[in-house]
Amino acid sequence: MDFDLTPEQQAIREQARALAAQFDDAYWRRCDAEHRFPWEFYQAFADAGWLGICIPPEYGGAGLGISEAAILLEEVAASGAAMNGASALHLTVFGLNPVVRHGSEELKRRILPEAAAGRLHVAFGITEPDAGSDTPSITTRAIRDGDHFIIRGKKVWTSKALEASKVLLLARTTPLEECRKRTDGMTLFLADLDPRYVTIRPIEKLGRNAVDSNEVFYDDLPVPVRDVVGEVDKGFYHLLDGLNPERILVAAEALGIGKAALRRATAYARSRHVFGRPIGQNQGIQFPLADSYAKLQAAELMVRKAAWLYDNGRPCGAEANMAKYLASEWAFEAADRALQVHGGFGYAKEFDVERYWREVRVMRIAPVTQEMVLNYLAQHELGLPRSY
Amino acid sequence: MNIIVCVKQIPDPETPASSFRVDEAAKKVVPAQGIPPVVNPYDPQATEAALRLKEAAGGGKVTVISLGPESARDAIKHALAMGADEGILLNDPGFEGIDNFQTAVALAKAIEKVGQYDLILMGRAAADWDMGVVPMGVATLLGIPCVSIAKAIERVDGKVRVTRVLDDGFQTVEAPLPAVVSVSNEFGEPRYPQLRQIMLAAKKTVQVWNAADLGLSADQLGEANRWLKLEALYVPKVESKVEIIEADSPEEKARILAQKLRADKLI
Repeated sequence: MDFDLTPEQQAIREQARALAAQFDDAYWRRCDAEHRFPWEFYQAFADAGWLGICIPPEYGGAGLGISEAAILLEEVAASGAAMNGASALHLTVFGLNPVVRHGSEELKRRILPEAAAGRLHVAFGITEPDAGSDTPSITTRAIRDGDHFIIRGKKVWTSKALEASKVLLLARTTPLEECRKRTDGMTLFLADLDPRYVTIRPIEKLGRNAVDSNEVFYDDLPVPVRDVVGEVDKGFYHLLDGLNPERILVAAEALGIGKAALRRATAYARSRHVFGRPIGQNQGIQFPLADSYAKLQAAELMVRKAAWLYDNGRPCGAEANMAKYLASEWAFEAADRALQVHGGFGYAKEFDVERYWREVRVMRIAPVTQEMVLNYLAQHELGLPRSY
Repeated sequence: MNIIVCVKQIPDPETPASSFRVDEAAKKVVPAQGIPPVVNPYDPQATEAALRLKEAAGGGKVTVISLGPESARDAIKHALAMGADEGILLNDPGFEGIDNFQTAVALAKAIEKVGQYDLILMGRAAADWDMGVVPMGVATLLGIPCVSIAKAIERVDGKVRVTRVLDDGFQTVEAPLPAVVSVSNEFGEPRYPQLRQIMLAAKKTVQVWNAADLGLSADQLGEANRWLKLEALYVPKVESKVEIIEADSPEEKARILAQKLRADKLI
């Protein structure tokens, strides 16, 4: 058993950390307050080639694995960029996985090099108001009309739609009642976000305000057949391949925020003097922080294991889910404790821990709720009857 | 064009004051726990200068040398990730506690061992002790010119033309090659390593040379051969006193303040 990072992974950690450090907490505070996409940060990572970390070399990327992408996104989040930084990159770093694995050669050559260079932004339109974890219930329809599909429907929580020119969009091509299985009959499209047919409405939300999340309405959007990703009616299965790596990466991002929060809390506990001594000398302050440290270390091991399994072509459903579950739970706890350690100042935006707290909260909901993870573990790992 | 760049790893200058400690008895800085050392901020600019000169010359080799503990390998790796060709770590228990002169001796020996070089570049100073004397020491030992605090460097007709930063302006000088040039922050932003370059650099082997490899004896590195004697090392105590000036008008307050500042010889 070898717990060491490889020299390449170690270098990725150091260099990602060094580049992310160029954008300090004040930068992220401003982006969040102004609801402004972090273009300078995005461009710096694009210029240095990080966006293509998981895209194969023949399409302009570095062809590295989820282990390396997890290190990158953990370091970005841990720099204080938190979710605002991580999700600005995440969608390009890994969101195009269905195109890499199932797209036609023509589509890959057209899309991937542009995305890896940071010139093409792709949003993600899967979730609908009445279909979250229950993806087969989506009602967005795509109907074939000659060499096009015409798409009509409504999506919600489409990240980055305001910046993107394209969207990876899941729509039903065969009505549910005509499908042998509920998960059949859906197709994945790489569609243009053409304003003549698409209306985007940003959602006001608790955190991650530099990267927009939107309701998107598709009103008979024509999509050429050549922009179908993979096979018609098999879109759900193409998406499935990406679920585990997405959970691993989100876990790594949560872990990064947890570490950032713990770092700030520890520094504050050391420097803040009350009653003639640093508050960090009190066990009431030390114990929660030490407890969070231990938990984040454990979560990190689960993230590494899940990523290693995935990169080695092994099943990793349980580990990816557990990594996401543990990292988001304990990172949120760490952020909450960091806020508490700061006392009244923790509630002030100036000290940043409230931003970490707001941003890490979403990881207990997305990309899958903690409760759905527990359902999975109960059913698939413990062999208990399905509860829903 | 063959260029040697000397880099150094230092304690992170961003270390919070609350984490900075010195051991007064041992006269040493205690490494801050959990805060890894970083590359001296001026050194990537020296590496950047080397890479630009190599690119302008259309070929050559950039060799990076660092003297320090095993962790100094990271400073070398950073330069390799930026695009440098080879790295050499000077590492020996005998290097612990050596002074600037002995550092210059060890670096000069290493540079002689590398052999072929047209130019030696260093940061203008290490941001920990901020002395900036090693470039001159190395140049003196090698018997070649030294030009300090450069904001621009170009190779012209087999010579090096350097624009230096002065207190009240700039000065352009030329020196024959080989020469030592120390590079200042005015040189401009160093490039960020590209992911592909980072991966290539991670695969490169960093050579390690010890004191014996450089032909340096324990005696040469011993206390008797140190030119710099550290008398005391301590964090100065900062005491602040507040005095509120009471007066009827702002003008009167300003007058009293001016008098007090003059009495204290501050204005």
